[in-house]
Amino acid sequence: MGLWRYAARRLVQIAGLFYVILTVLFIVFRLAPGDPVERMVDPSMDPEDAEVLMAQLGLDRPVGVQYLYYLKNFVSGDMGISFHYGEPVAEIIADRLPNTVLLFTSSTILAAVVGVLLGKRASWSKGRSTDTVLTFSALATHTVFLPWLALLLIWLFAYRLGWFPITGMVSEDVWLDPGATWWTRAVDVAHHMVLPLASLFLIQFGTFLLVMRSSMLETLKEDYILTARAKGLPERVIRNHHAAPNAALPVLTTIGLSLAFSINGGAITETVFTWPGIGRELVLAVSQNDYPLAQASFLLIAAVVLLANLVVDLLYAVLDPRIRY
Amino acid sequence: MSPDGRHRSLRRRRWLERFLDGWAIYRRNPLGWIGLGLLALFALMAAASFVPPLIDPMYHPMAGVDPEITSSMGPSLRHWLGTDFMGRDIFSQLLAGARVAFLVGISAAFMSVAVGTAVGITSGYLGGLADTLLMRLADMVMVMPALLVVLILAALFGQLNIWTVVLIIALFRWPGVARVIRAQTLTLKHRPFIEAVRVAGASHRRILLRHILPNVLPLSFLYMTFRVTSAIMIEAGLAFLGFGDSTTVSWGMMLQWVWKTGHMFKAPYWLLPPGLCISLITLAFYLLGQAMEEVLDPRLRKEEGGVG
Repeated sequence: MGLWRYAARRLVQIAGLFYVILTVLFIVFRLAPGDPVERMVDPSMDPEDAEVLMAQLGLDRPVGVQYLYYLKNFVSGDMGISFHYGEPVAEIIADRLPNTVLLFTSSTILAAVVGVLLGKRASWSKGRSTDTVLTFSALATHTVFLPWLALLLIWLFAYRLGWFPITGMVSEDVWLDPGATWWTRAVDVAHHMVLPLASLFLIQFGTFLLVMRSSMLETLKEDYILTARAKGLPERVIRNHHAAPNAALPVLTTIGLSLAFSINGGAITETVFTWPGIGRELVLAVSQNDYPLAQASFLLIAAVVLLANLVVDLLYAVLDPRIRY
Repeated sequence: MSPDGRHRSLRRRRWLERFLDGWAIYRRNPLGWIGLGLLALFALMAAASFVPPLIDPMYHPMAGVDPEITSSMGPSLRHWLGTDFMGRDIFSQLLAGARVAFLVGISAAFMSVAVGTAVGITSGYLGGLADTLLMRLADMVMVMPALLVVLILAALFGQLNIWTVVLIIALFRWPGVARVIRAQTLTLKHRPFIEAVRVAGASHRRILLRHILPNVLPLSFLYMTFRVTSAIMIEAGLAFLGFGDSTTVSWGMMLQWVWKTGHMFKAPYWLLPPGLCISLITLAFYLLGQAMEEVLDPRLRKEEGGVG
């Protein structure tokens, strides 16, 4: 029962945080130089349509009322109309969100799993060449400049070797062909996803490896490991069943803490590979002065980060029986 | 010598001793040496960046154009790393980029660590409501992706200059430092020597500045090296996406030029150097930080192997 109360409390806290972000964004949009109305209603819009939209967004009212409209519209999912696409922002976001989630969750999970396994391996052979190679490659991939890595991957695997498509998420000929089965389509997306996934995976897994390695080394000093050794258990059992599950817990915290960093990386990766996700949409919206879309993408990303943190906290609480709330 | 002056010189000697002790540990770490070596190389590059424009105006990283070259050419004697799409010398741009990287990295890191340390010791020392409020604020700022925050501000305020970018990075990268410093302050607060000073009648200000701050400063300094890494990465990422300060040449911007002008497949001499430099300078600061961590945290020093 304690867990549920903890979950509820964290959810309320996160809702509070999100409300603050929402409010700060509203204020910043009004503080910026220029006419706030021009930021929500496309200046090139037909005047009559513009008036309707302004009334709908409450932009003809005093600032206090505008704020209430802003909150109401956000809650009902009405975030204005994109200048660039001329479509409701909510629809564009809903269209892009699954792509980002697909790319991002798969790369994070993959990086965490591989990082934990290799970190375990490294700690077990500490001081030997396996450890040195693993630690150094983790350091190198952790500090490599992501867009550069992405460009190099494109150059080598897509341009020179021609194994993967250079950009995009789907091939038009596959998706416009009515006879294509869902399977061929899935394979097509997976084929496009390999390189962006590889880039995100490479910059993420090093952190997990390093954290797992040092946490494993700490754990191996614990008394219960000594007990296990004294009982004469095989080293493999000690490593996999006694040490690793406990050592893996800090990795979870790392996922939460490095999330902001990975989200930055996600936006860059999507942009370089023209992967149609939220991060790329934000970058495009900013360069095209498409304020409603930029605002909504930003808020959505903030919401995703907060929720992911919540999930990590809850997983931690479930997995670590020592923590009682 | 006045008593106060003697006190000061004693204190200075103690700092020197501590530094030498630390250095004795640091120098045993080969990765720390690699980090220092790389940093020395980049510092040399930054210092040398003033030379090429003096030799010939065409070597000016931003405005200098080789009158005989109008497109990107491969390396030659005249241009060691070749030229970019409008005939500017890539090598001089690379040198200028080192200067910008140091400038951005160190100033942003310094500011964020200063803010983080101030918040951390205040929060840890005062406790209570102030502590709760400051830490909630830290939680909130911590989860914000700094690069995207700068992006949205760039959308609203137009082109941001390099110092604005530095300031924003600093304002969004302090919570990690604040948490660590707060934890350290909490453990210090109840040590006997702090209690003794308090009983002796020292003011809060004096306890904080004279007794707690000197004890958390090494930790702040350590965090600075890690913050340098992230500041350089954020600035480079921003420049790469096309929102950098267009009056300065940074490595991220050089990469953006390669990418946006479609040279990435035909000009490896242009694509490779800037990315390599960004990656190596972040690696260098990271290695430096790790080696310093070993100096400051004795637990990390004599790690016994995991194998029994």
